[in-house]
Amino acid sequence: MMAAFIFRQALSDFVRFRRVVVWALVALALGGIAQIFILVTEGGPSRQDLYSLMSSIITFRLVALAAAIFSMAVVAQEIEQKTIVYLLTRPIPRWMLLTMRTLAATTVVILVAWACALSTSVGIFGSQPNPQLPRDLVALAMGAAAYTSLFVVVSLFINRAMIVCLLFAFGWETLIPNMSGQLYMLSINSYLNALSERPAIKGTDDLFQALGGLLGTNTLTTDTAWAVLIAIIAACLGLGALWFTRNEYIPREDAE
Amino acid sequence: MIRLEQASKWYGQVIGVNDVTCQIGPGVTALLGMNGAGKSTLMRLVTGQMFPTTGSVTVFGMDPFANPQVFRRLGYCPEIDNFYEHQSGRKFVYTMARFSGFGHRQAQTRAEEVLQQVGMLERSDRKIAGYSKGMRQRIKLAQAMIEDPEVILLDEPLNGLDPVGRREFMDLLAALAAKGKCILVSSHILFEVEQMTRSILLLHRGRLLATGDLKVIRQLLDKYPHRVRIDTSDPREVAARLVSLPYVISVQFEPRGTGIEIQTREPNQFYDYLSTLVLEEGLPIEGYASPDNNLESIFKYLVLT
Repeated sequence: MMAAFIFRQALSDFVRFRRVVVWALVALALGGIAQIFILVTEGGPSRQDLYSLMSSIITFRLVALAAAIFSMAVVAQEIEQKTIVYLLTRPIPRWMLLTMRTLAATTVVILVAWACALSTSVGIFGSQPNPQLPRDLVALAMGAAAYTSLFVVVSLFINRAMIVCLLFAFGWETLIPNMSGQLYMLSINSYLNALSERPAIKGTDDLFQALGGLLGTNTLTTDTAWAVLIAIIAACLGLGALWFTRNEYIPREDAE
Repeated sequence: MIRLEQASKWYGQVIGVNDVTCQIGPGVTALLGMNGAGKSTLMRLVTGQMFPTTGSVTVFGMDPFANPQVFRRLGYCPEIDNFYEHQSGRKFVYTMARFSGFGHRQAQTRAEEVLQQVGMLERSDRKIAGYSKGMRQRIKLAQAMIEDPEVILLDEPLNGLDPVGRREFMDLLAALAAKGKCILVSSHILFEVEQMTRSILLLHRGRLLATGDLKVIRQLLDKYPHRVRIDTSDPREVAARLVSLPYVISVQFEPRGTGIEIQTREPNQFYDYLSTLVLEEGLPIEGYASPDNNLESIFKYLVLT
């Protein structure tokens, strides 16, 4: 009962009106961008390729961005606004508090990612079916869980973790999948690409391919991707719970 | 209920609490000290937000750090003035009640009870963002009392309360103490603390400078002269009579000519003799008071000497 309440309370906090409106606008904007893409590239790549390109460049980046923002709300924001003290002096095991709040943040990130993917799909395919969409939705859900749990752990380790998380989301996750050799295995994005089983995109610039992290040779199987992503999520949740239980978290200005 | 054994807390190279040993039991105990003395650090150690670098802290015989068993019996009103501003006071207290393990209906009932106790029931449906400082203090107090805890720690709770609020707050504390609760109140406003309790812990630069009853501590300080201010219409006559006493060290005339201030090493003898002078010899003394009979002076003696 306690765990369910923590989850619900965190969820209602994370989906406050202002936040929802911002992300709803982002999702709608993606639909608009998709329409513009179609107009600008008329006679160029197929709609399937356009969708794949937009997915890899924008939607799969947005899931990391949303994860960075919402994972900060799990603990870091509470420390920043000094309300952490109310949570940590209640008879709640810290591991439960962290896990439930992380799950709530993950849920919101999944909803955001799905809204963006659906909007993009509708923008490109209209009312026609998009065979890629179901696999993307699964990959985005796993990506939301992996990024959120990872960023929560980062926020437990260091102050002002948002910058590090954004660098990871947009720097590391773009560069590493494009590297030669086996380095792509160090990127969550590579596993998400493997899960989505996106076909190779034809007829687009190398720049777009690079931004989508599609230049490297990704030979990961779906099974491997599932196993690695589940392992990352479990490891981050476990490590986070352990760290949060054993370390001090006090309001920010007092910590400095 | 609360026990610290040689507890120290370091923040890097800065010491927050230095080798503090003390026990705190039922009743109201004041934790006194200037800003930066270590009051909030000590509060955080007791409320299990921090663990001591060396030594030990126990509450109900248990280590309080991240210990839900302790938090079930402990309420904490922090010094910080931060809240979930978008929530109403009622919603905030209700949420804290749910976090404390109450079910939905129980939490609603309990939230109403404590809001009533702190005088916020009528105003609790407004958003916290619009609350005055005093109202915020009351809401913080309400959340600390939600579990009817055995131990209540209040960090600078009187900040921002108006005189009526302070009186109500002190009455509430007295009522809780009468029920056998252990209440630790930190403050740097000595006059207010003096009205709440005579049991004090005095911290200075992280060290526990004095502990115990205010009167006992004052007696320990008898090596310092005790000052008495006397209001009189004839300061010269009164001064002439008093300066000849062997235990009067000095006499100082007040600039406006309305009284004198004497220093004595034997306050009890002095007060006896003063009564005799008034009753038997009719010396024109309109009143007297000792500026040393308060915490401020004790604080000065202990800290500045």
